[in-house]
Amino acid sequence: MEWQPRDLPENNVTRVHPLKELATLVLGIALATVALTLVVAFTLDSVVRVLPPSWEARIFSGMWTDLERTDDPRAAAVGALLAELAAEWPGNPYEVRLFVMDSAEPNAFALPGGAVGVTRGLLDAVGSENELAFVLGHELGHFSGRHHLRGISRSLSVALVLGAATGGSSGTLLTQWVSEVTQLGFARDHEREADRFGLELVARRYGHIAGAMNFFEKLPGDAGGPTGRMGAWLATHPGSPRRIADLRALARAHGWPADGELTALDPGFAPR
Amino acid sequence: MDPLVELAFQIGPFLLLLLVGYVSGTAIERGHYSDIRKREARTRSMPVISFRRPPASWQVSSASLVSGSTVVSIDYFKRFLAGLRGMTGGRITSYESLLDRARREAVLRMKEEAQGLGYDAVVNMRLETSRLASSNRKGQGTAGVEILAFGTAVKRGA
Repeated sequence: MEWQPRDLPENNVTRVHPLKELATLVLGIALATVALTLVVAFTLDSVVRVLPPSWEARIFSGMWTDLERTDDPRAAAVGALLAELAAEWPGNPYEVRLFVMDSAEPNAFALPGGAVGVTRGLLDAVGSENELAFVLGHELGHFSGRHHLRGISRSLSVALVLGAATGGSSGTLLTQWVSEVTQLGFARDHEREADRFGLELVARRYGHIAGAMNFFEKLPGDAGGPTGRMGAWLATHPGSPRRIADLRALARAHGWPADGELTALDPGFAPR
Repeated sequence: MDPLVELAFQIGPFLLLLLVGYVSGTAIERGHYSDIRKREARTRSMPVISFRRPPASWQVSSASLVSGSTVVSIDYFKRFLAGLRGMTGGRITSYESLLDRARREAVLRMKEEAQGLGYDAVVNMRLETSRLASSNRKGQGTAGVEILAFGTAVKRGA
């Protein structure tokens, strides 16, 4: 047997450019994460829609007692308005309650199970019943769309998918960022849905939508909110100008008049 | 803070590390490969075989143990790619070139030692790999890899 010197064939390395490999892997994993999140979210969503509101109230009513409520003389009038608005929602399965929160900043929110909270600041700031009705209607819209449970199921599905993808470890920044962006998209859709529901209730009650959207001008910090297209996109709520434009388009589509006589607030609302 | 700025702060250092790892890793690799190929050309004529015993026709007059070893570290970019492969599976191409270089370098060093001592060939060559434990998080992860090539250098008599 003879030994022959030879050059090495160099066949132990896969010929692929590292940057191309990086791009393929990153894009592939990102797309797979998004797709999987959507599938799981959709499945959980369908399950959650079937959950009865009475169960929801029982599970979450414990949350309500943690709020800093205040006894405001206007609560009765607002509660009556809320009940009348809820009556405009055919087939309303919720027992809706009103709480007034002790805060000077105008704000309103819906808590899972049927509780609507408005701040003192908001009651001080509203100029007409129409404006207040829209705010209350928007919060009722969150119940009608089952947004709380859907939000929880969405967070859960994202957490599940991320956990599966990273094997339980904290995961790379990439998957975290992708999941955040996906979730914010859902939150913005919920706000838009609630806006539309609120406007519809207002149109049914008053026959027009005048004054309903004045509240948008009073939201704190909105004039100087996140600047730039990316900032507005990353914020949880769609920017007010877009919400107003969206609602005006909806009104035009349904033929709801934009002008009309504003209903004055109940005498109980006189500034203190 | 503007969400975009916040995002930049979170991702920025990571991307910078990736870039530095990629640039320096690629430069080092290219240089190393050209060096390896030159030295392989020079030592091409010295046989290295994995038989345990030299052929009887060689009539070995003297022998000695020779070895060559390399320790290589994994740059951030390669490590990140390997981490992604950890999710998807498949060939970790970023490590392939690294280990290929280390292995060839170790064999070259062994041959150069044998040549330096005046031997003609190396028989019974073996390769060993060991992982250097990293000092972070319970010793997980790799600080680097050591490849050792050793064998019996022989001098052919007559």
